[in-house]
Amino acid sequence: MSALLQINDLRVTFRTRYGEVTALDSVSLHVNAGETLGVVGESGCGKSITALSVMGLIPQPPGKIAGGEILLNGEDLTKVSEARMRGLRGSEVAMIFQEPMTSLNPVFTVGDQIAEAIMLHQKVSADQAMKDAIALLDRVGIPSPDRRARDFPHQLSGGMRQRVMIAMAVSCRPKVLIADEPTTALDVTVQAQIFDLLNEIQRDFGAAIVLITHDMGAISEMADRVAVMYAGRVIEDASADDVLDMPLHPYARGLINCIPNLGRDDDSLAEIPGVVPPLHLLGAGCAFADRCAHKAPRCAVEKPLLINHGHHPAACHAVEEGRL
Amino acid sequence: MNASFLIRRLGFGLLLMLGVVVLNFLLIRLAPGDPAVVIAGEMGGATKEMLDSIRQEYGLDKPVLTQLWIYISNVAQGDLGQSYFFNQSVAGLIAHRVGPTILLVLSAQLLSIALGVFLGVIAARKPNGVMSGFVSIFATIGYAVPVFWTGIMLIILFASVLPIFPVEGMQSVKLRDAGFLVQALDVAHHLFLPAFTLAVIYLAQYARLSRASMLEVLGSDYIRTARAKGASEKSVLFKHALRNAALPILTVAGLQFGNLISGALLVESVFNWPGMGRLAFDSILRRDYPTIMGVLFFASAMVVIANILTDLSYRVADPRLRGKG
Repeated sequence: MSALLQINDLRVTFRTRYGEVTALDSVSLHVNAGETLGVVGESGCGKSITALSVMGLIPQPPGKIAGGEILLNGEDLTKVSEARMRGLRGSEVAMIFQEPMTSLNPVFTVGDQIAEAIMLHQKVSADQAMKDAIALLDRVGIPSPDRRARDFPHQLSGGMRQRVMIAMAVSCRPKVLIADEPTTALDVTVQAQIFDLLNEIQRDFGAAIVLITHDMGAISEMADRVAVMYAGRVIEDASADDVLDMPLHPYARGLINCIPNLGRDDDSLAEIPGVVPPLHLLGAGCAFADRCAHKAPRCAVEKPLLINHGHHPAACHAVEEGRL
Repeated sequence: MNASFLIRRLGFGLLLMLGVVVLNFLLIRLAPGDPAVVIAGEMGGATKEMLDSIRQEYGLDKPVLTQLWIYISNVAQGDLGQSYFFNQSVAGLIAHRVGPTILLVLSAQLLSIALGVFLGVIAARKPNGVMSGFVSIFATIGYAVPVFWTGIMLIILFASVLPIFPVEGMQSVKLRDAGFLVQALDVAHHLFLPAFTLAVIYLAQYARLSRASMLEVLGSDYIRTARAKGASEKSVLFKHALRNAALPILTVAGLQFGNLISGALLVESVFNWPGMGRLAFDSILRRDYPTIMGVLFFASAMVVIANILTDLSYRVADPRLRGKG
């Protein structure tokens, strides 16, 4: 129990017109200081909800943290007051969002927006905060930072804006940095630069990074450990090498197979048939059963648990029974 | 703020004013009836010689285009003509009354924006809450009720039943010689009911508009970013969201200015406020054409100026518009 961020059996529900649905179902994750945890899965599998839960930004209502705990340095974030959470947000846990184009406020200069983050958590003058903001812009590789600090977001490219977001997120040296698909909206060449930057920042600042993505390439480049999520549950949790080299769960195997391989001479890309089932239609059994080639009668009625059946933990009856 | 934009905008404004002058002039000429007959009628009789001399005096015997040219060049020199009824220069008449009207209109505008936006922001915080429902109902009532009725009701309630405010006018006669501060307070005291009456319609609209605008902005990514930084709810609402939600409010504020001036006409009549609306009302009843044209000209000028100021304020509010034509 010495992990920096430890999520235990987290359950998050949402009130919808179909009734109450379970967006996160006993999710357990942990990340240690200086480590990068990759969280992968298709859209709608609960990656972002997990991140927003840690940030205390789940809109309540309709959302509700229905159970479990989120321990940051042993402090349960599901139980702290809103004022305390506000103090932690941005200073202890910070987040980089998917959409750099819309995540910065269009009516304030980028320098002001970074300086604001600094002044919210540190007792410094406005002048000093702006100086720090310019230094951060320099640190994230923005040329002529003192001039750029006076620019408005619309005057910067997508890659530059994501650099600004990173500068803002690390401005108070957070212990945990959550990056929610930080490169999805960017060009491939810029993606690589952003990952390099995140790696450097981690080395300099010693932050733990939670990298949410569906890009397995990003995982192989960045992550120390990987948690694979599906329909609100963690279905496989191991070191990045283990998951990439020897995925166990049929869904994880599918994800790895989906990585296009230039060396392979296939005509078509591999795909996982079907889609993630809507949360309100989840039954008693394994949520992946309908898309699974290794389905057995047991899979429709009994939820598999995330247990180590030999190599590393995976939530699958077929793995448990040795059929895979 | 770039200068070429300002110059171009002012140029358009002047062109627009020229159009207003021409249209004003032609509208009055198109109206049935001969002004000379009306003037002669006011004087109490009309012989042929008298009509001719009146036509000559007012230049009505010249071709319409010549008359138009004379009127435009007079207006350009600040001469709006002579009032038939008051027998004073129209410019002088307006100069006396423009102050109270501007005071009334600006107070109503400020009151409606400040209060309306505040109510809208509060309502947007909880879109299904009590406040939100109150704003919606209030907006419907405020918009539906005629302004003179609101005025009369307020007079009955707050000047007659509960005599808190004066019934009419802009100043108490007995305070004419008092010190500046006392006089200013006296004017403010007289101003409150008419300004509030005029503000009610627009207040409700601003409340609804800012509620809708805020709801849209509060769902955007940069608001989530602000929260993720650890910004307080007050800062999220009034700093991060309101600046962005202000654009549609500014647009409407600019467009409403014209309506506000025509609303002032009614309010000034109800409260006997000594402004331009009152002058317009009197001059229309008395077919005092030069005065009507002068008042229309002045009201148009105020609307054009308000629109230029609105355009400029966009650029202050939204940096994305700066440097664009």
